[in-house]
Amino acid sequence: MSRIAVTGTGSFLGGRLLRRLAEHEPERIVAVDVSAPPPALGVGYRPLDLTEPASDEALLHVFREERVDTLVHFAFLTNPRRDTSFAHELESIGTLSLMAAAAAAGLKRVVMRSFTAVYGARGQNPNFLTEARPLQPNAALSWVRDKLEAEQHAASFARRYPELSVTVLRFAPLFGPELRTFYTRVFDKRLVPMLMGFDPLVQLLHPDDALEAALRALERDVRGAVNIVPRAPIPLGALLHLAEKVPLPVPHPLAYAACEALWAAGVTEAPGGFLDYVRYQFVADGAHAERELGFRARYSSRDALMAYLRYRHPDSASLREATV
Amino acid sequence: MSESAKVVPIRRGRRSPSKPEAERLREQVGHLEDQLRRLEARRGAADREGLMVALARLFQEGLRGLRWETVARAWAAAYFSWHSEEVDDFGFDRKFTETLRPMFEFLYTVWWRVEANGLEQVPGRGAGLIVANHSGVLPYDGLMINVAVRHEHPARRDCRMLALDMFALLPFLAPMLQKSGAVRANQENGERLLRKGELVGVFPEGVKGVGKRFKDRYKLARFGRGGFVRLALRTGAPIVPCAVVGAEEIHPLLAKADILGRPLGFPYFPITPTFPLLGPLGFIPLPSKWSLDFADPLPMEGYGPDAAEDPILVNRLSEQVRGTIQKMIDGRLARRRSIWFG
Repeated sequence: MSRIAVTGTGSFLGGRLLRRLAEHEPERIVAVDVSAPPPALGVGYRPLDLTEPASDEALLHVFREERVDTLVHFAFLTNPRRDTSFAHELESIGTLSLMAAAAAAGLKRVVMRSFTAVYGARGQNPNFLTEARPLQPNAALSWVRDKLEAEQHAASFARRYPELSVTVLRFAPLFGPELRTFYTRVFDKRLVPMLMGFDPLVQLLHPDDALEAALRALERDVRGAVNIVPRAPIPLGALLHLAEKVPLPVPHPLAYAACEALWAAGVTEAPGGFLDYVRYQFVADGAHAERELGFRARYSSRDALMAYLRYRHPDSASLREATV
Repeated sequence: MSESAKVVPIRRGRRSPSKPEAERLREQVGHLEDQLRRLEARRGAADREGLMVALARLFQEGLRGLRWETVARAWAAAYFSWHSEEVDDFGFDRKFTETLRPMFEFLYTVWWRVEANGLEQVPGRGAGLIVANHSGVLPYDGLMINVAVRHEHPARRDCRMLALDMFALLPFLAPMLQKSGAVRANQENGERLLRKGELVGVFPEGVKGVGKRFKDRYKLARFGRGGFVRLALRTGAPIVPCAVVGAEEIHPLLAKADILGRPLGFPYFPITPTFPLLGPLGFIPLPSKWSLDFADPLPMEGYGPDAAEDPILVNRLSEQVRGTIQKMIDGRLARRRSIWFG
């Protein structure tokens, strides 16, 4: 019997994916994480810390003992960490260890999560980024550098071990009920700072769509990167309008400096490099996922936002919906 | 049957003593429901009330001392009043364009008195690529082609302009271009729009055209590397050459100060008779008389699928389009007696 190992089961998306996978054949699933999954799921569990120096060897043991042939790698951080070396060990080096162990144990398949943010938000980007676009994120931002390195490790193993099929799912930023991240918390305050004179299109992916895409990727053998994006993008300003926020435009030279200083002082949740993502566009094209995975998002960016607002402020969002 | 017969009298018996109290409660519930409905209506009205109401409220309160809530509502209403949440995949916002339309029409009919000739050459449906000369420091020429096709062409089409990166990166100008239907000029964007059957406008001279010195006016610069021809060949969209006369005089570019422009993210810093001398007044374009001439479309079918990869053919077609536009410009200039009156 083929078995599936899942990392990052303590994360928002990894935890939900584990639950969906456990619905049918829980005995086929092994969670590999620092925290144990809920016992009620009935899945196997192997405690393991990807940041440990000898984690590759430990992983190889786990893969062999549990007779794993498929790895689902969802151990990534959505929120930026002040402890950048921890993030680097977990994401970049952790992926390297996982890929090394997967290759050594003769796994058939790896499905890994990634982010459309790895394309980088650049003024020169075309309106729709395809998977063939070179990845050029802001090198000063360690959050995205670690994700880029993880993808590079995965791609290099995929090249060296042609029998190992590696799929990288580049998810657009998630937005939806129960999700709490540094960027959803921006919507908890009435006054929202934004860059003066910029209003890029953004994509918000409903977690249900992300899960659907991940399950489809497990069913089919698609190699390489696949963008998983919502049905339609939406201007950033329209998000604030829908959420009934009061915008506070800040000139961008000031905003970068202030954001960096506030991050250094421990006041805000993200460094200044993230401002690129609200200044320029990084909208990805979902045609490849439609062709190869047969995946087409059910929700638009607007739906994802409205679902989140209904969850956070049940009365206000329902009123708003009624008046639209 | 006998059971129900037993039950009914019991229920009646329990109900009758509390009847007045139930009436009273029902009345109370009705009252509360009314109140709730009124509150919700007011709340809904506050959400829907536009900019004018928010400003009136602000004015009314200004006399008695402002409340944060009123100021916040008025500011948000003002900020969001021109935008809509419904945009296409490229960010084209019809509500925004409608809001600015009176200003565009003023520029078109009163300020520059644009005369459009040969608009019937622009395809009424399906993909088409309008190729024009670029001038005037700020991309007003694209705007005027847009207005011409939108208002004078029988099909009332939207022409999607491919904007220079330089403009698409500038604060304020970038979202304005995006909302009015322009997209950044690159092969991917152009191809996607043309394949959707849109009408696309492009200025192959790029920054060399828009930042042309006044002494070089109406001398077409090199047409890039023929990217627009490859675009047309790949999508089979016909090329419609267009000559814009009048835009060179709106901001006569006397000199370019690169040292001042670079830190602002602009490839050059324009010096015109009015800018930066008159400060913000220097942004007002001069009221020259404009004409737009559209030539016969150049069909792109019949070149074969690999034609876009043939540099010699691409360059030949590019030069052909450039020659057509230069000839139209020269003809128009020869007939023009005055910059201001045509």
